[in-house]
Amino acid sequence: MKIECVQEKLRSAIGVSGKIAGKHMTLPVLSCLLLDASSKNSLVIRSTNLDLGIEISIPAKIQDSGIIAVPAQVLSSFVEGVNSDDSGVRLESDQNNLKILTTRSSGTIKTMPAEDFPTIPRVSEDNKFFLNGADFAKGLKSVWYSSSVSSIKPELSSIYIYCEDESIVFVATDSFRLAEKRVKIKKTKDFGQILIPFKNIPEIIRVLENINDEIEINLDKNQISFTYNNLYMVSRVVDGIFPDYKQIIPKSSTTEVVVLKQDLLNALKLSNIFSDKFKQINFKISIITKTCEIKTKNNDIGENITSLDAAITGEDIEINFNYKYIVDCFQSIDSDSVSIHFNGLNRPMIIKPVSDTSFRYLVMPMNR
Amino acid sequence: MKDYVELWNRAMTDIELAVSKANFSTWFKDTYIIKIEEGVIFLGVPNPFIQQWLYKKFHNTILKSLRQIDTGTRALEYIILKEADRKKIVEKKAAPQQQSPTISMPLHDFYIDKDDNLNPRYVFDSFVVGPFNELAHAASKAVVKNPGSVYNPLFIYGNTGHGKTHLIQAIGNHIKKDFPQKKVFYLTSERFGSEYFSSLQTNSAQKFKEKYRKYDVIIMDDVQFFASKEKFQEELFHLFETFYQTNRQLVFSSDKHPNFIPGLEGRLKSRFVSGMIIDIPTPDQESKIAILKAKSMSNNIELTDEILNFLASNIESNVREIEGIINTIACQTQLKNHTLTVMEVKNLIKNSARPKKNISVKEVIKIITDFYNISEESIFDKTRKKDVVKPRQVIMYLLREDFSLSFPSIGEKLGGRDHTTVIHSCEKIREDLKTNSVLINEISQIRAML
Repeated sequence: MKIECVQEKLRSAIGVSGKIAGKHMTLPVLSCLLLDASSKNSLVIRSTNLDLGIEISIPAKIQDSGIIAVPAQVLSSFVEGVNSDDSGVRLESDQNNLKILTTRSSGTIKTMPAEDFPTIPRVSEDNKFFLNGADFAKGLKSVWYSSSVSSIKPELSSIYIYCEDESIVFVATDSFRLAEKRVKIKKTKDFGQILIPFKNIPEIIRVLENINDEIEINLDKNQISFTYNNLYMVSRVVDGIFPDYKQIIPKSSTTEVVVLKQDLLNALKLSNIFSDKFKQINFKISIITKTCEIKTKNNDIGENITSLDAAITGEDIEINFNYKYIVDCFQSIDSDSVSIHFNGLNRPMIIKPVSDTSFRYLVMPMNR
Repeated sequence: MKDYVELWNRAMTDIELAVSKANFSTWFKDTYIIKIEEGVIFLGVPNPFIQQWLYKKFHNTILKSLRQIDTGTRALEYIILKEADRKKIVEKKAAPQQQSPTISMPLHDFYIDKDDNLNPRYVFDSFVVGPFNELAHAASKAVVKNPGSVYNPLFIYGNTGHGKTHLIQAIGNHIKKDFPQKKVFYLTSERFGSEYFSSLQTNSAQKFKEKYRKYDVIIMDDVQFFASKEKFQEELFHLFETFYQTNRQLVFSSDKHPNFIPGLEGRLKSRFVSGMIIDIPTPDQESKIAILKAKSMSNNIELTDEILNFLASNIESNVREIEGIINTIACQTQLKNHTLTVMEVKNLIKNSARPKKNISVKEVIKIITDFYNISEESIFDKTRKKDVVKPRQVIMYLLREDFSLSFPSIGEKLGGRDHTTVIHSCEKIREDLKTNSVLINEISQIRAML
C-alpha cells in the first residue's frame, strides 16, 4: 500500500473511528483500525467492537492499493501528535509495518494481519428515514444516563426512541428513575420504535453531535445505521418491547415546588456530604411555613438541613430519595428554575424545567 | 434439544482445531444450534457482526465439521437471537437483583406489542379446547381463516375466567401471523372510552377517529363497560358501521349477552346480534380435567387421576382459580420434593377452593326478596300473587340446587308447605331456565350475590 492524503482529514477520521476500537481480550485485531486503500481515490478507515462499527472514507491519492490493520491507540496518538503545519501525509506499508511520512516526522508502526478484521454489516434500506444528527444526539444525551447498567433486562439497558406527533421521543429508565426527552422535528415518517443499547450511546453521541444536518438512518430488526457523506456507522439494536412507561407517569400532583436550579443543586451537594450509604435525602415541604427543607443524616458523620427559597402549592409532604437519582437529571436541564411535583408517599416525583415541556424526569422515592 | 447441544459441541471441538484460538473464542462464543429442519441447521448467533463474519469467513469450516458428524447436513443458516432467547437456551439464571432501598417502578406489560396491544402469549396452541368452548374456538378459527367475511362481528361472552380474552387475543395474534399486511388492534372498552374522552378534551376527535379507522381488525374486550355511556356507544356505532361496510373484522367480548347489557342502545345491540354470538359457558368436568392437565404440564408437575378428579370437582368454574391452584401445588411439590398425595392436595386447596356456602336459609330469603323488591313475610304467606310466587319458586329452586336441602325441609322453612309443592316449583324453574333468558340472567345475578 502506498497512498497520500490530507493530514487534517486523516486526523479527524482516525480520531472518530479510533475511539470505537477498544481493547479486545480474545481478538487483538479488533483493537486495530483497518485502513483499506483498495478503491480508486479514497482511503476507507474501519473500526468495530462487535457491537458498534464505523466506516469513514477520506479522499486520497492511491499509488499502490492495499489493506492493513494498525493498532488504533498507536496510530491515533501518532497522527494526533505530529506537527500539523504541512498538509500532506504519506502512508506506506512495508511487510508488517506501516510507515507514516510527513515533511518533518516519520513513524513506523507494526501492523497486524488484516484478514482477521471483520466486515462492518450493512443494513437493508427497507426502513429508511432522515433526521438531524445533532438533534438525535441531543435527545440521546438528555436521557441515556438513566438506563439500567445491569443486563438482566436488555430493554431497560437501552434507549427507547419513537415518534409521536411532531417529535421524536427518547426514553431511558432503570426502573428507579426515568428520563423522557422530546425533540421537535419537521417531518419524518413513522419509523416504529428503536432500542439502542446504552453502551453504544456515548460513541453515537460523539459522532452525531457535530453533524447539524440531515443524516440517513436505516433500521432493521437487529441493527441501525447512520450515514452522512463519507461516514457510515452501525449499531446493534435490541429486539424487544420497552415497557409501557406512560402508565406510571402521574397525570396530576399533590404538591408542587418551584426552585432555582442552582439553589437546589447547591443544597443537594451540601447534603450529600452527610448522606448515608444509601445516599438517602429527606425532602420536607411545609405549606404553612412555606419552606422546602432538604435534610440528610449519617450516624457516623453528622447531619445537615438546608432550606430553599421556593414557591410551594399543594399539601405538606415528607419523603426520601436517593441523591444520585435526583442529581443526575440536572445535566439535561438548561433552564434557571425547575418545578418538582410530588404525588404523595411511595409515589414518584417529577422534575421538569420551568417553561420547557420537552423534558421530564421521574424518580421513585425510597422505601423506608 | 440435547442432541443439538451434543452435535454442536462436537462440531466446536473440530472447529477449534481448525481456527486460531483468538478467532474461536471471539466468534464462536454464545452460538447454539436452534433447530434442524430437513438437513438445514439453524445456528443462533448473538449479533449481526458475528452473523456476517461467520458466514464470510468460517461458513465452509463449520459446514464441513457438521457434515462429518451428521452426514445429513445440507445447509447452514444463521439467525440472530434475542438476548432473552439466548438466556433461555443456556438456562442461565440471572443473578438476583440487588435489593435496592428505592422503590422500583411498576413497569408492567413487558411483553405486549405496542403496535397492536396484543399479548403474544395468547395463542390457539395454548388454548385448551373442551366441549364447553369448542364452538367458540371453532368460530374464532374460522374468523382467522377469513377475517372480515365470516362471522362479522364475532361476539363472545361468558363469565370471568372462562378464556374470553385468551381466545380473542389469539384471533389477533393469528391474523397478524397469517396476514402480515393486516393491521390488528386489541383494546379494552375502557381504553376506547378514555381515549375518546381525552380526544374530546384536547379537540382532537378527528385524530381519534382516524386512528381507529386505519386498522383492519379491531378486537375489543369487555364491552359491557359501555353500558349507559351514550357518547361512547355512539362513537363505537360509527366505527362499527365503517368497519362493517368495508368488510373489516370486529371481535367483541363481554360478560353478558348483548341483549342483557343494561343501557346498551338498540342500534348497537342489533348490530352485535347481526354477526355471530357465542357463549363460553362454565367448563364441564372433563374440560376442567383437560385444563388442569394442560396447566400442570406447563408447570412440570405430575398429578394422578385421583387428584385431577378431586380438583375438578372441587374447584369452581373459574380457569384463573385453576391456574392459581396449580401454582400452589407446583410450589409445594418443589418444597416437599415429592409428588403430593390427595390428602395433601386437599389440605392445600382448603382455602383456595370456594368455601361451601355458609349462609342461612333466612339470609337466602332476604337476598332474594330484596332482589325482587318484595317483603320477606310475603314468602311465608299463602298468597298466590304472581310477583310473590316467582321469587318463592326461585328460593326453593336455589335452596335445592345450591344448598342441597331436602324437599320437605325446604317446604317446612317456607311457611310449612308440602314437599310436593317444592318439587313442583323446582321442576317449573328448571323447565323455565331452558327457554327463559331473563330468568337465567336473574338466577345468575342472585347466585353472584349469595
